[in-house]
Amino acid sequence: MNKLIKIGLPSKGRLKDESLKIFKKNNLSIKDSKRNYLSEIKNFSLNEVIFSHAREIVDRLADNSLDIGISGYDLLKESLPGIQKNIQVFSRLNFGFANLIVAVPDAWIDVQTIADLEEISFELKDKNISKLRVATKYPNLTNDFLLSKGLTQYKIINSLGSTEIYPFTGQSEIITDISSSGATLKANKLRILKDGDILKSSACILVSKKSLRDKLKNKIVKNLLKKIS
Amino acid sequence: MKSKKYSEALLNLFKKKGFKVKEFENIIESRIIIERSGEIFKKSLLSFEDDNGRNFSLRPDLTISACLDYIKNVKEGTYKYAYFDQAYRRTFGKESLVRNQLGCEIIGSSNFKSNAEIVNLIDQSLKKVIKDKTTIKINDINIFYSLVDSLKLPSRWRFRLKRHFWRHDYFDELITRLESNSDLQKNVFELDKKSYFKMKESKQNEKIAGRKINEILDRFEKKIKEPRSNINGTRVARIIRNFLKINCPFKNAKNELKKFEIKNKIDLKLNQFDVFDLNLKNKDALFSSNIGRSVEYYTGIVFEIYKKSKNLNLASGGRYDNLMQILGAKNKVAAIGGAINYDNILKL
Repeated sequence: MNKLIKIGLPSKGRLKDESLKIFKKNNLSIKDSKRNYLSEIKNFSLNEVIFSHAREIVDRLADNSLDIGISGYDLLKESLPGIQKNIQVFSRLNFGFANLIVAVPDAWIDVQTIADLEEISFELKDKNISKLRVATKYPNLTNDFLLSKGLTQYKIINSLGSTEIYPFTGQSEIITDISSSGATLKANKLRILKDGDILKSSACILVSKKSLRDKLKNKIVKNLLKKIS
Repeated sequence: MKSKKYSEALLNLFKKKGFKVKEFENIIESRIIIERSGEIFKKSLLSFEDDNGRNFSLRPDLTISACLDYIKNVKEGTYKYAYFDQAYRRTFGKESLVRNQLGCEIIGSSNFKSNAEIVNLIDQSLKKVIKDKTTIKINDINIFYSLVDSLKLPSRWRFRLKRHFWRHDYFDELITRLESNSDLQKNVFELDKKSYFKMKESKQNEKIAGRKINEILDRFEKKIKEPRSNINGTRVARIIRNFLKINCPFKNAKNELKKFEIKNKIDLKLNQFDVFDLNLKNKDALFSSNIGRSVEYYTGIVFEIYKKSKNLNLASGGRYDNLMQILGAKNKVAAIGGAINYDNILKL
């Protein structure tokens, strides 16, 4: 049966737990069977709740397979401009706080700013060693940030996890990564640059712009947003 | 039809002046650009991979295509290119992916006369297609570099200001930072001093994330010896800002710059620049210290041509003596070129 509106929620971790709390707090009951990735809000108009990877929620809102979703602001901003233009940020939420930052090995005591990194990148280039390698799960945001700060002589190394160890295993020289308390960075002997804040992120409620243009869906989506905001 | 008529007229003129009209390969191996230039070009490339994982791109710019053609096919001597074709770049707004480029390049010539040849030819060619009078704005990027060298600044700041001259927003940010007190974070610096003494005891050839300990310590020592707090950042920022406002008739340029030197007690070493002797046929010319800042690879004289009545940009260009090596030439190959702003011409 084709449910009228589709809601995407993160499928695991704190993002999932905190998202469910928002609905519960507003007397909207979602059955969470832990293993089933499909559910619904019982006491609301015809709907379907789909538990997905937070990154996928952004893509599905853009192609309008979802109407509303909760995901990370960082993941939205990392997506391509063509995706972002189809999504409206309805509100930033009070959880999932994390910063995307540039970090260098603690022992690089001569490096405090991106401008220092630029000099290092030229040193590496002049010695014909290689380009300064930047490991990250966020290549688009990293590129935009580094290029805006004047760093051009570097190479992005795409990482899917454990990015913090890349500089110490010969896979990159520096990293950009999400950090909430800085504890993981510290434990891995990394430190954030003085001007190395790329993005302040939190969870947010996102809406597909196409759904807002659909008269019938618009009414239901706005009704749901009113209830959970 | 207007487009075809104009392009034919312009290319014919270029041919008469000894330029060879060339067509370039549509596809280039991305590695050639990315490996040497870093991520900055990568962002604008329209790329794809073949089954073997080799990455290719549609040609992003015809000056780059002319350089690659020279490296592959010409290899030495002077070659005069002319072209009218399409280049393809990723766009992030409403701009078209496809852009028409009409231009000419003299590759393999450091001769001072080539500068005048390109500027005069482009200006003259405009007269083939438009009736309006034109104004030429001239600058030499090296005069700004000379200004930076004349100022009391740590070497790392000289490097930064020169490197980012073409990146307007970031350059302005740098100048604002120059006016502030320090670029060293004091609390971190004190902590790092402790690490410094500890690292002094370590094996100096040991590498941490690709850098030897002695390299890290050398650079740290250099930063301590060259603190920016010793310089008058406000004065330096004011001089740079005032320099970038210089805009005067081209024939008066040297005198205006001399006055600027005296006023600010600096030495721009003006006698080393031949830009002031440029033999321009169009006498409606200005010296403008703030132009030529849109392209990273310019290394010397730069020019922009405007429709006089509307201040509409019709053409621009400049000398790019380092680009050939960036793109893979074994030795330095001097070059200068210019392109006509074709879309603006069609608007007239």
